[in-house]
Amino acid sequence: MRINTHRGGKLRAFGALLGMLLLTTTVYADDIPPLEERLQLCGGCHNPDGNSVIPENPKLAGLDAKYIARQLGDFKAGKRSNEIMSGIITMVDEKEFKALATYFSGQKRSDGTSDKPDLVAQGKQIFDEGVIGTAVPACAGCHNEDGSGSDKFPRLNGQNPAYVVNQLMNFKNKVRNNDPKAVMQAVAKRLNEKEIAAVAEYVTTLKEAE
Amino acid sequence: MNNILSIIFVSLFSLQAGMAQAADAYVPKVYGKKGYVWDEMTPERIQVLKMGGDPVKGKESFRGCRGCHKADAAGVREGVYPRLTGQHASVLIKQITEIRAGIRKNPKMLPFVEDPAISVEEIGDIAAYLNSLTSVRENGKGDVDMSVQGKKLFTDNNCFKCHGVNGEGNAAKAYPVVAAQHYGYLLREMKLIMTGVRGNSNPDMVKAISKLKQEELEAVADYLSRLPDYRTVAASK
Ligand code: HEC
Ligand code: HEC
Ligand code: HEC
Ligand code: HEC
Repeated sequence: MRINTHRGGKLRAFGALLGMLLLTTTVYADDIPPLEERLQLCGGCHNPDGNSVIPENPKLAGLDAKYIARQLGDFKAGKRSNEIMSGIITMVDEKEFKALATYFSGQKRSDGTSDKPDLVAQGKQIFDEGVIGTAVPACAGCHNEDGSGSDKFPRLNGQNPAYVVNQLMNFKNKVRNNDPKAVMQAVAKRLNEKEIAAVAEYVTTLKEAE
Repeated sequence: MNNILSIIFVSLFSLQAGMAQAADAYVPKVYGKKGYVWDEMTPERIQVLKMGGDPVKGKESFRGCRGCHKADAAGVREGVYPRLTGQHASVLIKQITEIRAGIRKNPKMLPFVEDPAISVEEIGDIAAYLNSLTSVRENGKGDVDMSVQGKKLFTDNNCFKCHGVNGEGNAAKAYPVVAAQHYGYLLREMKLIMTGVRGNSNPDMVKAISKLKQEELEAVADYLSRLPDYRTVAASK
């Protein structure tokens, strides 16, 4: 986490610089930079093709465009917060959200790998069947068996396990509480940390069905 | 004529206004507590019944339920999660709205069926969708076949008067289909209804079932779990 904070600080400084540049140049209509330029900023953390290789940063490739736009809006409005993304979003104008969302949504999600087969097997059980004793519903029910998701349930296949763990912990602790129907908070509340680690490891090995 | 019509309209409007007020003042009553009336309409249930249901929309809304009741809505064989396919829409609406109102206790499911997880409109849609489904997966049955004893108990204790000779229930009266349901679920619900823990027990059913001992409850549950889908029976007639 310390590494991330550091990176965030650097980027904030970079952002301030970018902001100054924007103030002194008037070539862009509405002060909005072209998409390609903006993508350099996002690409630094999420990879240019949206398949982030930094474990704590989510892969954006193949997420539903409306979902991405809503998350950006929520970061901007402070309804979802993260020390890094919340800082970044202050540099981005709301008018850019749609194009960014469309771009990342159109990228192909890369596959993930795991070298922890036992954890993966445990995670598969939770993902496909849920946990009967504690009434955890199967993740597959909402996110689909292959994790491909839908317009209401975000794509999970190939996602970075560290990011998935962070989100599940955040939902569980109500740090992330911007899910419109509050169902993901209800699911995560019933998961313990061991189950979270296992299911996150399984998620990354999921490949979208042909 | 016009006058009569306008009187009807005015009274309809005031009826609606009255209902809106009742919705604010409505206090749900649970079985065993003073003032409990079985099958008393909650304001929400009246609303759902008025709106009707669209099975196509219902299929989409049911996504959030699949994690427990499974993608085919047939539940799990052990009976922790009941089969919902082919249940009468009226029964599904009664159960869902009473769970939302806190009359029927179901803490495991509540966060996924209460507002905002499911809107009022979606309740009728889901009920229409589930009613249209047929189960293809085999349901859970008792360990040993006790259907002969079970059938006799079901008849002698007048269970069939409400649940039908083929376990088909009664849509108009909101009596549930009990045929081909999972054994584990049937057994659990009979006890929850008998003891009142379920919260929305029918007092006449409590009377009918209270005479049964554990082994007899098992026999009835086994018998019902072995009945064919009631719609197969209706089709063959
Ligand atoms: C300094 C690194 C960094 C930069 C630059 C950055 N992000 Fe992020 N982004 C993150 C991190 C870290 C998270 C995870 C936040 C969390 O854990 O809640 C994130 C989360 C997101 C999410 C939520 C994804 C999900 O699955 O819910 C979206 C969408 C997103 N970023 C879009 C963007 C866009 C668009 C840009 C460019 C304008 C951008 N990010 C730039 C680090 C960054
Ligand atoms: C009842 C439906 C439902 C079930 C079951 C469910 N989820 Fe979710 N999940 C959601 C919704 C809805 C969201 C998106 C919330 C939003 O739009 O803000 C979500 C979001 C997530 C996210 C965040 C994705 C991202 O890109 O930030 C993760 C991770 C996740 N779910 C994992 C799981 C896991 C693991 C399980 C099983 C233990 C599970 N979900 C079960 C509905 C569900
Ligand atoms: C977390 C797991 C879980 C989820 C998610 C869930 N249910 Fe349930 N549901 C249950 C359980 C457990 C029961 C049985 C409760 C009992 O024993 O009384 C049940 C019972 C029911 C019943 C009563 C059936 C009967 O025969 O009386 C209905 C109707 C129902 N669920 C509908 C739904 C709908 C619709 C959704 C989605 C909006 C849903 N459920 C989501 C766990 C769940
Ligand atoms: C007066 C009508 C009536 C009689 C008689 C009756 N029941 Fe019921 N039964 C109901 C109603 C109504 C429900 C659903 C509870 C509710 O919504 O109020 C129910 C629920 C059930 C259920 C649970 C079904 C589900 O999907 O949750 C079982 C099992 C059952 N009855 C078995 C029996 C048996 C066995 C007998 C005979 C000993 C019996 N019932 C007699 C009306 C009746």
